[in-house]
Amino acid sequence: MAIAHDIAVGQELPPLEKDLTQRHIDAYSGVRTRSIHTDEAWARRKGFRTTLAQGMMSTAYVSEMMTRLLGAGFIKGGAMSVAFVKPVYAGDRLTVRGVVKEVREKDGTRVVVEVWCENQHRQKTAVGSASGLLA
Amino acid sequence: MTEFKPLTYEALTVGEEFVSDAYLVTPEDVDTYAFAVDDHHPWFFGPSPFGGPVAHPTLVANQALRLRHSRYVVHAGLHAKMQFEFLEPIRAGMRVRSRGRVVDKYERRGKQYMVTEFVTEDDAGTTLVRGQFTQMLIPA
Repeated sequence: MAIAHDIAVGQELPPLEKDLTQRHIDAYSGVRTRSIHTDEAWARRKGFRTTLAQGMMSTAYVSEMMTRLLGAGFIKGGAMSVAFVKPVYAGDRLTVRGVVKEVREKDGTRVVVEVWCENQHRQKTAVGSASGLLA
Repeated sequence: MTEFKPLTYEALTVGEEFVSDAYLVTPEDVDTYAFAVDDHHPWFFGPSPFGGPVAHPTLVANQALRLRHSRYVVHAGLHAKMQFEFLEPIRAGMRVRSRGRVVDKYERRGKQYMVTEFVTEDDAGTTLVRGQFTQMLIPA
């Protein structure tokens, strides 16, 4: 898989689109009763309009975007810090975006990317940063 | 024998430690995870720069996130923040275990939160992933 070597501050990464079906959430979380992720009645009882995707799924999407950018330098040497700012529901479509913020020279070249996920209403659901080593 | 009690803000102690069971990562886990997050990177199933297939870096993240379930009945919770450092690739065939420690609990705008530091290691004790996460407690 091709890895980008011409990385510049301000560069926008190719966005990823993810349709979150209940089947994906079930596969991720494991189907359990009394789970806000896989038991719709329980989710409603806890005040949500339907089941929620796990926040952790968004970290997997960020990881995918960073691995596409940096390859092995993210799988070994990657880092991420993300806040989940809005629930993601079953049936939502997320777009995962990133902009290169910094290219840091220390013990190799570390690329720092501002990352966020937004839903189909353009509302941000997760925000943070991720980084990895340029091979 | 473990005695489980309901997770409440009051019951939780800063400094409390959790240890997961050891978990064997299987090729089926890698495949299921690829479906779940719709990411079928070729390195998950064939040659990679690490000499063979590697798993998605976040594959075993739920082992850490569910550490509190090893001692408490958790009625519901929301994940507020997540930090990872990916130190070594995860591979099918590894037996991994996560250890965590509650490093903070706090109330903000009427909500209760707990903060846990964690490491995930292979059976040789090599740290694969480390990080910290913040979870909101939802009352029963």
